[in-house]
Amino acid sequence: MIRFENVGLRYESGPEVLRDVTFTLERGSFHFLTGPSGAGKTSLLRLMFLDHKPSRGLITMFDRPIATLARHELPDIRRQIGVVFQDFRLIAHLTAYENVALPLRARGKSEDSYRADVIELLQWVGMGERLDALPSTLSGGEKQRVAIARAVMGRPRLLIADEPTGNVDAEMGNRLLHLFVELNRLGTSILIATHDRELIASNPAPALVLHKGEVEIHG
Amino acid sequence: MVEVPMTGTVRRSLLARLFVETRSVMPAAGSTGLSLVLVIATMCFLASLTLGAVLAVNHATQSWTRQLSGALTVEILAVEGQDPEMQRDAALTALSKTPGILTAKTLSRDDVAALIQPWLGVDVAREDLPFPQLIDVRLDTSAPPPDLDALAAALEKSAPGVRLDSHRQWLDDINGAANAAQGLSYAILAIITLTTIAIVTFATRAGLLANHEIVELLHLIGARDNFIASEIQRHFLLLGLRGGVLGLALSLLAFGGMSIVMNSSSLLVSMPTIQPWTLTSLLLVPVMAALVSVITARMTVMRGLGRMM
Ligand SMILES: Nc1ncnc2c1ncn2[C@@H]1O[C@H](COP(=O)(O)OP(=O)(O)OP(=O)(O)O)[C@@H](O)[C@H]1O
Ligand SMILES: [Mg+2]
Repeated sequence: MIRFENVGLRYESGPEVLRDVTFTLERGSFHFLTGPSGAGKTSLLRLMFLDHKPSRGLITMFDRPIATLARHELPDIRRQIGVVFQDFRLIAHLTAYENVALPLRARGKSEDSYRADVIELLQWVGMGERLDALPSTLSGGEKQRVAIARAVMGRPRLLIADEPTGNVDAEMGNRLLHLFVELNRLGTSILIATHDRELIASNPAPALVLHKGEVEIHG
Repeated sequence: MVEVPMTGTVRRSLLARLFVETRSVMPAAGSTGLSLVLVIATMCFLASLTLGAVLAVNHATQSWTRQLSGALTVEILAVEGQDPEMQRDAALTALSKTPGILTAKTLSRDDVAALIQPWLGVDVAREDLPFPQLIDVRLDTSAPPPDLDALAAALEKSAPGVRLDSHRQWLDDINGAANAAQGLSYAILAIITLTTIAIVTFATRAGLLANHEIVELLHLIGARDNFIASEIQRHFLLLGLRGGVLGLALSLLAFGGMSIVMNSSSLLVSMPTIQPWTLTSLLLVPVMAALVSVITARMTVMRGLGRMM
Protein backbone atom coordinates (compact mmCIF):
# COMPACT_ATOMS: atom_id res chain seq x y z
CA MET A 1 0.00 0.00 0.00
CA ILE A 2 2.86 2.35 0.90
CA ARG A 3 6.24 1.95 -0.65
CA PHE A 4 9.54 3.83 -0.37
CA GLU A 5 12.19 2.93 -2.97
CA ASN A 6 15.73 4.31 -2.69
CA VAL A 7 14.36 7.47 -1.17
CA GLY A 8 16.88 10.17 -0.35
CA LEU A 9 16.28 13.49 1.34
CA ARG A 10 18.44 16.51 1.96
CA TYR A 11 17.24 19.85 3.26
CA GLU A 12 18.44 22.49 0.83
CA SER A 13 22.18 22.06 0.47
CA GLY A 14 22.66 20.27 3.80
CA PRO A 15 23.87 16.68 4.20
CA GLU A 16 21.62 13.79 3.22
CA VAL A 17 19.30 13.09 6.14
CA LEU A 18 17.90 9.98 4.47
CA ARG A 19 19.62 7.92 1.80
CA ASP A 20 18.46 4.80 0.05
CA VAL A 21 15.48 4.23 2.29
CA THR A 22 13.48 1.26 1.02
CA PHE A 23 10.54 -0.44 2.72
CA THR A 24 6.92 -1.41 2.21
CA LEU A 25 3.96 -1.04 4.57
CA GLU A 26 1.14 -3.42 3.84
CA ARG A 27 -2.53 -2.63 4.31
CA GLY A 28 -3.52 -2.95 7.95
CA SER A 29 0.06 -3.22 9.18
CA PHE A 30 1.46 -1.94 12.49
CA HIS A 31 5.04 -0.66 12.67
CA PHE A 32 7.24 1.26 15.01
CA LEU A 33 9.89 3.62 13.71
CA THR A 34 12.91 4.09 15.97
CA GLY A 35 16.40 5.44 15.84
CA PRO A 36 18.51 7.90 17.76
CA SER A 37 17.51 11.51 18.03
CA GLY A 38 18.32 13.30 14.80
CA ALA A 39 18.32 10.05 12.85
CA GLY A 40 15.61 11.38 10.55
CA LYS A 41 12.40 9.85 11.90
CA THR A 42 10.41 13.03 11.65
CA SER A 43 11.90 13.69 8.22
CA LEU A 44 10.80 10.28 6.97
CA LEU A 45 7.29 10.80 8.33
CA ARG A 46 7.08 14.23 6.68
CA LEU A 47 7.74 12.58 3.34
CA MET A 48 4.95 10.15 4.07
CA PHE A 49 2.32 12.72 5.02
CA LEU A 50 3.23 14.80 1.96
CA ASP A 51 4.75 17.71 3.83
CA HIS A 52 7.96 17.54 1.84
CA LYS A 53 9.15 16.09 -1.43
CA PRO A 54 12.01 13.59 -1.51
CA SER A 55 15.25 14.69 -3.15
CA ARG A 56 15.32 11.40 -4.99
CA GLY A 57 13.69 8.00 -5.05
CA LEU A 58 10.12 6.88 -5.45
CA ILE A 59 7.32 7.11 -2.89
CA THR A 60 4.04 5.33 -3.49
CA MET A 61 1.09 6.17 -1.27
CA PHE A 62 -2.07 4.08 -1.53
CA ASP A 63 -0.72 2.66 -4.76
CA ARG A 64 -0.14 6.08 -6.34
CA PRO A 65 3.35 7.43 -7.05
CA ILE A 66 3.27 10.81 -5.34
CA ALA A 67 5.59 12.44 -7.86
CA THR A 68 2.82 12.20 -10.43
CA LEU A 69 0.12 13.75 -8.22
CA ALA A 70 -1.25 17.12 -9.23
CA ARG A 71 -1.63 19.71 -6.49
CA HIS A 72 -5.39 19.41 -6.43
CA GLU A 73 -5.13 15.66 -5.82
CA LEU A 74 -3.12 16.06 -2.62
CA PRO A 75 -6.06 16.79 -0.28
CA ASP A 76 -7.73 13.49 -1.14
CA ILE A 77 -4.56 11.56 -0.30
CA ARG A 78 -3.95 13.59 2.86
CA ARG A 79 -7.47 12.94 4.10
CA GLN A 80 -6.60 9.26 4.27
CA ILE A 81 -3.66 9.99 6.55
CA GLY A 82 -3.99 10.99 10.20
CA VAL A 83 -0.94 12.61 11.71
CA VAL A 84 0.07 13.16 15.32
CA PHE A 85 2.81 15.77 15.01
CA GLN A 86 5.79 15.68 17.34
CA ASP A 87 5.04 19.32 18.22
CA PHE A 88 1.23 18.74 18.20
CA ARG A 89 0.46 21.74 15.96
CA LEU A 90 -2.81 22.58 17.66
CA ILE A 91 -4.34 25.87 16.54
CA ALA A 92 -3.85 28.25 19.45
CA HIS A 93 -7.08 30.23 19.23
CA LEU A 94 -9.35 27.21 18.82
CA THR A 95 -10.59 25.07 21.72
CA ALA A 96 -9.74 21.42 22.18
CA TYR A 97 -13.13 20.54 20.74
CA GLU A 98 -12.64 22.76 17.69
CA ASN A 99 -9.14 21.47 17.07
CA VAL A 100 -10.34 17.89 17.06
CA ALA A 101 -13.27 18.76 14.80
CA LEU A 102 -11.00 20.50 12.29
CA PRO A 103 -10.40 17.60 9.88
CA LEU A 104 -14.15 17.11 9.50
CA ARG A 105 -14.85 20.81 9.23
CA ALA A 106 -12.20 21.07 6.51
CA ARG A 107 -14.11 18.38 4.65
CA GLY A 108 -17.18 20.57 4.68
CA LYS A 109 -19.09 18.40 7.17
CA SER A 110 -21.77 20.11 9.22
CA GLU A 111 -21.21 20.38 12.93
CA ASP A 112 -24.37 18.42 13.68
CA SER A 113 -22.92 15.42 11.92
CA TYR A 114 -19.76 15.20 14.02
CA ARG A 115 -20.39 16.93 17.36
CA ALA A 116 -21.21 13.77 19.29
CA ASP A 117 -18.27 11.84 17.79
CA VAL A 118 -15.81 14.58 18.66
CA ILE A 119 -17.02 14.76 22.24
CA GLU A 120 -16.98 10.99 22.60
CA LEU A 121 -13.45 10.72 21.27
CA LEU A 122 -12.21 13.49 23.56
CA GLN A 123 -13.84 11.67 26.48
CA TRP A 124 -12.08 8.52 25.42
CA VAL A 125 -8.65 10.14 25.61
CA GLY A 126 -9.59 11.56 29.01
CA MET A 127 -10.23 15.12 27.82
CA GLY A 128 -13.99 15.14 28.25
CA GLU A 129 -13.77 17.82 30.91
CA ARG A 130 -11.60 20.15 28.86
CA LEU A 131 -13.57 20.52 25.63
CA ASP A 132 -13.50 24.31 25.77
CA ALA A 133 -9.90 24.63 26.88
CA LEU A 134 -7.47 26.51 24.66
CA PRO A 135 -4.20 24.68 23.91
CA SER A 136 -2.19 27.22 25.88
CA THR A 137 -4.00 26.14 29.05
CA LEU A 138 -3.27 22.43 28.52
CA SER A 139 -0.33 20.40 29.81
CA GLY A 140 2.01 18.69 27.36
CA GLY A 141 0.29 15.34 27.81
CA GLU A 142 -3.14 16.88 27.43
CA LYS A 143 -2.13 18.60 24.18
CA GLN A 144 -0.78 15.29 22.98
CA ARG A 145 -4.09 13.58 23.63
CA VAL A 146 -5.98 16.32 21.77
CA ALA A 147 -3.53 15.93 18.89
CA ILE A 148 -4.12 12.18 18.83
CA ALA A 149 -7.87 12.67 18.86
CA ARG A 150 -7.59 15.04 15.91
CA ALA A 151 -5.44 12.57 13.96
CA VAL A 152 -7.94 9.78 14.53
CA MET A 153 -11.03 11.90 13.91
CA GLY A 154 -11.01 11.66 10.12
CA ARG A 155 -10.98 7.80 10.23
CA PRO A 156 -7.70 7.62 8.30
CA ARG A 157 -6.45 4.56 6.42
CA LEU A 158 -2.96 5.34 7.70
CA LEU A 159 -2.15 6.80 11.09
CA ILE A 160 1.27 8.36 11.52
CA ALA A 161 2.27 9.30 15.06
CA ASP A 162 5.52 11.06 15.90
CA GLU A 163 6.42 10.37 19.55
CA PRO A 164 2.76 10.11 20.57
CA THR A 165 3.52 9.01 24.11
CA GLY A 166 6.48 11.27 24.82
CA ASN A 167 4.65 13.45 27.30
CA VAL A 168 2.34 11.07 29.16
CA ASP A 169 2.91 8.61 32.00
CA ALA A 170 3.19 4.90 31.36
CA GLU A 171 -0.44 4.25 32.14
CA MET A 172 -1.76 6.86 29.71
CA GLY A 173 0.88 5.71 27.22
CA ASN A 174 -0.54 2.21 27.33
CA ARG A 175 -4.07 3.51 27.02
CA LEU A 176 -3.12 5.47 23.90
CA LEU A 177 -1.25 2.51 22.46
CA HIS A 178 -4.40 0.52 23.05
CA LEU A 179 -6.31 3.11 20.98
CA PHE A 180 -3.84 2.60 18.14
CA VAL A 181 -4.13 -1.19 18.41
CA GLU A 182 -7.90 -0.88 18.34
CA LEU A 183 -7.77 1.28 15.22
CA ASN A 184 -5.36 -1.17 13.64
CA ARG A 185 -7.79 -3.97 14.30
CA LEU A 186 -10.42 -1.95 12.40
CA GLY A 187 -8.09 -1.80 9.40
CA THR A 188 -5.99 1.32 9.80
CA SER A 189 -2.29 0.99 9.10
CA ILE A 190 -0.22 2.39 11.95
CA LEU A 191 3.28 3.83 12.00
CA ILE A 192 4.56 5.12 15.33
CA ALA A 193 7.89 6.87 15.70
CA THR A 194 9.18 6.52 19.23
CA HIS A 195 12.21 6.28 21.50
CA ASP A 196 10.19 4.47 24.10
CA ARG A 197 11.72 0.96 24.41
CA GLU A 198 9.05 -0.14 26.85
CA LEU A 199 6.33 0.81 24.43
CA ILE A 200 8.00 -1.20 21.68
CA ALA A 201 8.60 -4.13 24.01
CA SER A 202 4.97 -4.18 25.10
CA ASN A 203 3.83 -4.79 21.52
CA PRO A 204 5.00 -7.52 19.15
CA ALA A 205 4.92 -5.22 16.11
CA PRO A 206 7.98 -4.97 13.82
CA ALA A 207 10.18 -1.89 13.96
CA LEU A 208 11.79 0.15 11.22
CA VAL A 209 15.13 1.21 12.64
CA LEU A 210 16.74 4.31 11.16
CA HIS A 211 20.48 4.39 11.33
CA LYS A 212 22.76 6.73 9.44
CA GLY A 213 20.04 7.58 6.98
CA GLU A 214 19.11 4.00 6.16
CA VAL A 215 16.29 1.78 7.32
CA GLU A 216 16.47 -1.76 8.66
CA ILE A 217 13.42 -3.80 9.57
CA HIS A 218 13.59 -5.64 12.89
CA GLY A 219 11.09 -8.30 13.84
CA MET B 1 -8.25 41.76 15.19
CA VAL B 2 -7.60 38.62 17.18
CA GLU B 3 -10.67 36.55 17.89
CA VAL B 4 -11.71 36.43 21.49
CA PRO B 5 -11.53 32.88 22.72
CA MET B 6 -14.88 31.46 23.59
CA THR B 7 -15.22 30.35 27.18
CA GLY B 8 -17.97 28.81 29.24
CA THR B 9 -19.73 25.51 29.07
CA VAL B 10 -19.90 23.40 25.96
CA ARG B 11 -23.61 23.88 25.80
CA ARG B 12 -23.33 27.64 25.70
CA SER B 13 -20.61 27.62 23.09
CA LEU B 14 -22.52 25.16 20.97
CA LEU B 15 -25.56 27.41 21.15
CA ALA B 16 -23.39 30.37 20.36
CA ARG B 17 -22.05 28.49 17.37
CA LEU B 18 -25.55 27.84 16.13
CA PHE B 19 -26.76 31.40 16.39
CA VAL B 20 -23.69 33.55 16.12
CA GLU B 21 -21.22 33.58 13.27
CA THR B 22 -19.39 30.28 12.82
CA ARG B 23 -15.94 30.72 14.24
CA SER B 24 -13.20 30.99 11.71
CA VAL B 25 -10.23 28.69 11.62
CA MET B 26 -8.04 31.62 10.74
CA PRO B 27 -7.54 34.47 13.16
CA ALA B 28 -8.06 37.73 11.26
CA ALA B 29 -5.13 39.22 9.47
CA GLY B 30 -3.02 39.87 12.55
CA SER B 31 -3.46 43.32 14.00
CA THR B 32 -4.46 44.88 10.67
CA GLY B 33 -8.18 44.49 11.39
CA LEU B 34 -8.99 47.88 12.86
CA SER B 35 -6.62 49.87 10.69
CA LEU B 36 -7.96 48.12 7.62
CA VAL B 37 -11.53 49.03 8.60
CA LEU B 38 -10.45 52.67 8.95
CA VAL B 39 -8.69 52.68 5.59
CA ILE B 40 -11.69 51.13 3.86
CA ALA B 41 -13.93 53.65 5.66
CA THR B 42 -11.80 56.49 4.27
CA MET B 43 -11.97 55.05 0.77
CA CYS B 44 -15.73 54.66 1.03
CA PHE B 45 -16.08 58.19 2.38
CA LEU B 46 -14.24 59.55 -0.66
CA ALA B 47 -16.16 57.29 -3.01
CA SER B 48 -19.53 58.34 -1.54
CA LEU B 49 -18.63 62.03 -1.81
CA THR B 50 -17.59 61.59 -5.42
CA LEU B 51 -20.59 59.51 -6.32
CA GLY B 52 -22.97 61.83 -4.47
CA ALA B 53 -21.50 64.85 -6.25
CA VAL B 54 -21.73 63.32 -9.71
CA LEU B 55 -25.30 62.18 -9.12
CA ALA B 56 -26.31 65.62 -7.86
CA VAL B 57 -24.71 67.35 -10.84
CA ASN B 58 -26.40 64.93 -13.22
CA HIS B 59 -29.72 65.54 -11.60
CA ALA B 60 -29.36 69.32 -11.80
CA THR B 61 -28.21 69.20 -15.41
CA GLN B 62 -31.10 66.99 -16.36
CA SER B 63 -33.69 69.25 -14.81
CA TRP B 64 -32.17 72.35 -16.43
CA THR B 65 -31.97 70.57 -19.75
CA ARG B 66 -35.51 69.34 -19.51
CA GLN B 67 -36.84 72.81 -18.72
CA LEU B 68 -34.91 74.44 -21.51
CA SER B 69 -35.14 71.93 -24.30
CA GLY B 70 -38.94 71.97 -24.37
CA ALA B 71 -38.91 75.70 -24.99
CA LEU B 72 -37.76 78.18 -27.62
CA THR B 73 -37.91 81.93 -27.61
CA VAL B 74 -38.41 84.09 -30.66
CA GLU B 75 -37.00 87.55 -30.19
CA ILE B 76 -38.28 90.40 -32.33
CA LEU B 77 -36.17 93.54 -32.20
CA ALA B 78 -37.57 96.91 -33.04
CA VAL B 79 -36.22 97.88 -36.44
CA GLU B 80 -36.57 101.33 -38.02
CA GLY B 81 -39.28 101.38 -40.62
CA GLN B 82 -40.78 98.07 -39.59
CA ASP B 83 -44.23 97.66 -38.13
CA PRO B 84 -43.90 95.58 -34.95
CA GLU B 85 -47.26 93.95 -35.60
CA MET B 86 -46.23 92.92 -39.10
CA GLN B 87 -42.94 91.54 -37.78
CA ARG B 88 -44.79 89.53 -35.19
CA ASP B 89 -47.40 88.13 -37.60
CA ALA B 90 -44.66 87.11 -40.04
CA ALA B 91 -42.86 85.27 -37.25
CA LEU B 92 -46.05 83.55 -36.10
CA THR B 93 -46.79 82.45 -39.66
CA ALA B 94 -43.33 80.97 -39.98
CA LEU B 95 -43.84 79.17 -36.70
CA SER B 96 -47.22 77.80 -37.70
CA LYS B 97 -45.66 76.21 -40.79
CA THR B 98 -43.23 74.24 -38.60
CA PRO B 99 -44.43 70.87 -37.29
CA GLY B 100 -43.89 69.84 -33.67
CA ILE B 101 -44.78 73.16 -32.11
CA LEU B 102 -47.37 73.04 -29.37
CA THR B 103 -48.01 76.69 -28.65
CA ALA B 104 -46.57 80.06 -29.61
CA LYS B 105 -47.58 82.79 -27.22
CA THR B 106 -46.64 86.41 -27.61
CA LEU B 107 -45.64 87.86 -24.27
CA SER B 108 -47.41 91.04 -23.30
CA ARG B 109 -45.46 94.25 -22.78
CA ASP B 110 -45.84 93.85 -19.02
CA ASP B 111 -44.52 90.29 -19.06
CA VAL B 112 -41.45 91.36 -20.99
CA ALA B 113 -40.95 94.30 -18.69
CA ALA B 114 -41.09 91.99 -15.71
CA LEU B 115 -38.47 89.74 -17.28
CA ILE B 116 -36.11 92.57 -18.08
CA GLN B 117 -36.49 94.59 -14.94
CA PRO B 118 -34.14 92.57 -12.71
CA TRP B 119 -31.36 93.04 -15.30
CA LEU B 120 -31.79 96.76 -15.86
CA GLY B 121 -32.87 97.66 -12.39
CA VAL B 122 -35.33 100.32 -13.51
CA ASP B 123 -39.01 100.29 -14.07
CA VAL B 124 -38.71 99.73 -17.80
CA ALA B 125 -42.43 99.78 -18.43
CA ARG B 126 -42.52 103.44 -17.61
CA GLU B 127 -39.51 104.37 -19.72
CA ASP B 128 -40.10 104.95 -23.32
CA LEU B 129 -37.55 102.37 -24.44
CA PRO B 130 -37.64 100.40 -27.67
CA PHE B 131 -38.79 97.03 -26.46
CA PRO B 132 -38.11 93.68 -28.01
CA GLN B 133 -41.17 91.54 -28.43
CA LEU B 134 -40.87 87.95 -27.24
CA ILE B 135 -42.76 84.87 -28.41
CA ASP B 136 -42.63 81.94 -26.03
CA VAL B 137 -42.69 78.74 -28.07
CA ARG B 138 -43.44 75.36 -26.46
CA LEU B 139 -42.40 72.23 -28.27
CA ASP B 140 -44.33 68.99 -28.40
CA THR B 141 -41.82 66.83 -26.49
CA SER B 142 -43.55 63.62 -27.56
CA ALA B 143 -42.97 64.38 -31.25
CA PRO B 144 -39.57 64.44 -32.96
CA PRO B 145 -37.98 67.87 -32.42
CA PRO B 146 -38.25 70.34 -35.32
CA ASP B 147 -35.23 71.20 -37.43
CA LEU B 148 -34.08 74.21 -35.44
CA ASP B 149 -31.61 75.45 -38.06
CA ALA B 150 -34.30 75.49 -40.73
CA LEU B 151 -36.71 77.19 -38.37
CA ALA B 152 -34.13 79.83 -37.47
CA ALA B 153 -33.51 80.52 -41.16
CA ALA B 154 -37.25 80.69 -41.92
CA LEU B 155 -37.80 83.12 -39.05
CA GLU B 156 -34.96 85.40 -40.07
CA LYS B 157 -36.27 85.48 -43.62
CA SER B 158 -39.85 86.20 -42.50
CA ALA B 159 -39.05 89.74 -41.38
CA PRO B 160 -36.02 91.79 -40.40
CA GLY B 161 -35.23 91.77 -36.68
CA VAL B 162 -36.69 88.33 -36.00
CA ARG B 163 -34.29 85.91 -34.24
CA LEU B 164 -34.61 82.44 -32.77
CA ASP B 165 -33.03 81.73 -29.38
CA SER B 166 -32.94 77.98 -28.94
CA HIS B 167 -30.92 78.16 -25.70
CA ARG B 168 -28.66 75.72 -27.44
CA GLN B 169 -25.40 77.44 -26.61
CA TRP B 170 -26.36 77.52 -22.97
CA LEU B 171 -27.40 73.85 -23.05
CA ASP B 172 -24.18 72.80 -24.77
CA ASP B 173 -22.16 74.64 -22.15
CA ILE B 174 -24.01 72.96 -19.29
CA ASN B 175 -23.74 69.54 -20.83
CA GLY B 176 -20.07 69.97 -21.61
CA ALA B 177 -19.32 70.97 -18.03
CA ALA B 178 -21.45 68.15 -16.65
CA ASN B 179 -19.72 65.59 -18.86
CA ALA B 180 -16.31 66.79 -17.80
CA ALA B 181 -17.30 66.58 -14.15
CA GLN B 182 -18.68 63.10 -14.72
CA GLY B 183 -15.54 61.86 -16.44
CA LEU B 184 -13.40 63.23 -13.66
CA SER B 185 -15.59 61.57 -11.03
CA TYR B 186 -15.37 58.19 -12.69
CA ALA B 187 -11.61 58.53 -12.87
CA ILE B 188 -11.55 59.32 -9.15
CA LEU B 189 -13.80 56.33 -8.39
CA ALA B 190 -11.50 54.08 -10.42
CA ILE B 191 -8.46 55.32 -8.50
CA ILE B 192 -10.22 54.76 -5.18
CA THR B 193 -11.17 51.21 -6.22
CA LEU B 194 -7.66 50.38 -7.36
CA THR B 195 -6.21 51.76 -4.14
CA THR B 196 -8.62 49.67 -2.11
CA ILE B 197 -7.67 46.56 -4.07
CA ALA B 198 -3.98 47.25 -3.47
CA ILE B 199 -4.51 47.74 0.26
CA VAL B 200 -6.64 44.61 0.66
CA THR B 201 -4.12 42.59 -1.34
CA PHE B 202 -1.38 43.80 0.95
CA ALA B 203 -3.38 43.03 4.09
CA THR B 204 -4.33 39.57 2.82
CA ARG B 205 -0.71 38.74 2.09
CA ALA B 206 0.30 39.92 5.53
CA GLY B 207 -2.45 37.82 7.08
CA LEU B 208 -1.46 34.77 5.08
CA LEU B 209 2.13 35.20 6.16
CA ALA B 210 1.17 35.70 9.81
CA ASN B 211 -0.96 32.55 9.70
CA HIS B 212 1.48 30.53 7.68
CA GLU B 213 1.61 27.68 10.19
CA ILE B 214 -2.16 27.36 10.34
CA VAL B 215 -2.38 27.32 6.56
CA GLU B 216 0.25 24.61 6.43
CA LEU B 217 -1.56 22.54 9.04
CA LEU B 218 -4.87 22.91 7.22
CA HIS B 219 -3.25 21.60 4.07
CA LEU B 220 -1.79 18.65 5.94
CA ILE B 221 -5.14 17.61 7.35
CA GLY B 222 -6.54 17.66 3.83
CA ALA B 223 -8.19 21.06 3.56
CA ARG B 224 -8.58 22.38 0.04
CA ASP B 225 -7.48 25.87 -0.97
CA ASN B 226 -11.13 26.69 -1.36
CA PHE B 227 -11.84 26.00 2.31
CA ILE B 228 -8.88 28.07 3.46
CA ALA B 229 -9.85 30.92 1.16
CA SER B 230 -13.42 30.99 2.43
CA GLU B 231 -12.22 31.07 6.02
CA ILE B 232 -10.07 34.09 5.22
CA GLN B 233 -12.44 35.94 2.93
CA ARG B 234 -15.17 35.90 5.57
CA HIS B 235 -13.05 38.26 7.64
CA PHE B 236 -12.60 40.55 4.69
CA LEU B 237 -16.31 40.55 4.04
CA LEU B 238 -16.89 41.82 7.58
CA LEU B 239 -14.02 44.29 7.42
CA GLY B 240 -15.24 45.61 4.06
CA LEU B 241 -18.83 45.98 5.24
CA ARG B 242 -17.87 47.69 8.48
CA GLY B 243 -15.52 50.08 6.72
CA GLY B 244 -18.08 50.75 4.02
CA VAL B 245 -20.90 51.56 6.42
CA LEU B 246 -18.63 53.81 8.48
CA GLY B 247 -17.45 55.68 5.36
CA LEU B 248 -21.00 56.08 4.07
CA ALA B 249 -22.18 57.43 7.43
CA LEU B 250 -19.38 60.00 7.42
CA SER B 251 -20.22 61.10 3.89
CA LEU B 252 -23.91 61.50 4.75
CA LEU B 253 -22.89 63.76 7.63
CA ALA B 254 -20.80 65.74 5.18
CA PHE B 255 -23.67 66.05 2.68
CA GLY B 256 -26.02 67.06 5.47
CA GLY B 257 -23.64 69.78 6.59
CA MET B 258 -23.19 71.01 3.04
CA SER B 259 -26.90 71.29 2.33
CA ILE B 260 -27.42 73.31 5.52
CA VAL B 261 -24.71 75.72 4.42
CA MET B 262 -26.15 75.98 0.91
CA ASN B 263 -29.73 76.53 1.95
CA SER B 264 -28.70 79.41 4.13
CA SER B 265 -26.90 81.18 1.28
CA SER B 266 -28.99 82.88 -1.39
CA LEU B 267 -27.76 81.91 -4.80
CA LEU B 268 -29.40 82.90 -8.06
CA VAL B 269 -29.28 79.39 -9.50
CA SER B 270 -30.31 76.49 -7.29
CA MET B 271 -27.24 74.40 -6.51
CA PRO B 272 -27.08 70.65 -7.04
CA THR B 273 -28.54 68.84 -4.06
CA ILE B 274 -28.68 65.23 -2.92
CA GLN B 275 -31.91 63.56 -3.98
CA PRO B 276 -33.55 60.75 -2.00
CA TRP B 277 -32.80 58.20 -4.70
CA THR B 278 -29.18 59.29 -4.67
CA LEU B 279 -29.05 58.08 -1.09
CA THR B 280 -30.26 54.69 -2.25
CA SER B 281 -27.47 54.44 -4.78
CA LEU B 282 -24.97 55.51 -2.14
CA LEU B 283 -25.97 52.38 -0.21
CA LEU B 284 -24.17 50.51 -2.97
CA VAL B 285 -20.86 51.89 -1.74
CA PRO B 286 -20.52 49.62 1.32
CA VAL B 287 -21.79 46.68 -0.72
CA MET B 288 -19.16 47.38 -3.35
CA ALA B 289 -16.51 47.78 -0.65
CA ALA B 290 -17.38 44.37 0.81
CA LEU B 291 -17.42 42.79 -2.66
CA VAL B 292 -14.10 44.30 -3.68
CA SER B 293 -12.55 43.22 -0.37
CA VAL B 294 -13.83 39.67 -0.60
CA ILE B 295 -12.91 39.13 -4.23
CA THR B 296 -9.48 40.66 -3.80
CA ALA B 297 -8.79 38.64 -0.65
CA ARG B 298 -9.92 35.45 -2.32
CA MET B 299 -7.82 35.96 -5.40
CA THR B 300 -4.78 36.86 -3.30
CA VAL B 301 -5.20 33.79 -1.10
CA MET B 302 -5.72 31.42 -4.00
CA ARG B 303 -2.65 32.79 -5.74
CA GLY B 304 -0.59 32.55 -2.54
CA LEU B 305 -1.74 29.00 -1.79
CA GLY B 306 -1.06 27.89 -5.34
CA ARG B 307 2.62 28.40 -4.67
CA MET B 308 2.62 26.03 -1.68
CA MET B 309 2.96 22.25 -1.81
N1 LIG C 1 13.62 21.77 8.12
C1 LIG C 1 14.88 21.32 8.24
N2 LIG C 1 15.86 21.99 7.63
C2 LIG C 1 17.13 21.54 7.74
N3 LIG C 1 17.49 20.48 8.43
C3 LIG C 1 16.55 19.76 9.08
C4 LIG C 1 15.19 20.16 9.02
N4 LIG C 1 14.45 19.29 9.75
C5 LIG C 1 15.34 18.39 10.24
N5 LIG C 1 16.59 18.68 9.85
C6 LIG C 1 17.76 17.88 10.15
O1 LIG C 1 17.53 16.56 9.74
C7 LIG C 1 18.04 15.65 10.69
C8 LIG C 1 16.95 14.68 11.10
O2 LIG C 1 15.97 15.40 11.80
P1 LIG C 1 14.61 14.74 12.27
O3 LIG C 1 13.78 15.77 12.89
O4 LIG C 1 14.05 13.99 11.13
O5 LIG C 1 15.17 13.71 13.37
P2 LIG C 1 14.32 12.79 14.36
O6 LIG C 1 14.80 11.42 14.13
O7 LIG C 1 12.89 13.04 14.24
O8 LIG C 1 14.86 13.31 15.76
P3 LIG C 1 14.07 13.33 17.16
O9 LIG C 1 14.07 11.94 17.67
O10 LIG C 1 14.91 14.23 18.01
O11 LIG C 1 12.72 13.86 16.91
C9 LIG C 1 18.59 16.47 11.84
O12 LIG C 1 19.99 16.51 11.71
C10 LIG C 1 18.00 17.82 11.65
O13 LIG C 1 18.94 18.79 12.02
MG1 LIG D 1 11.44 13.81 15.41
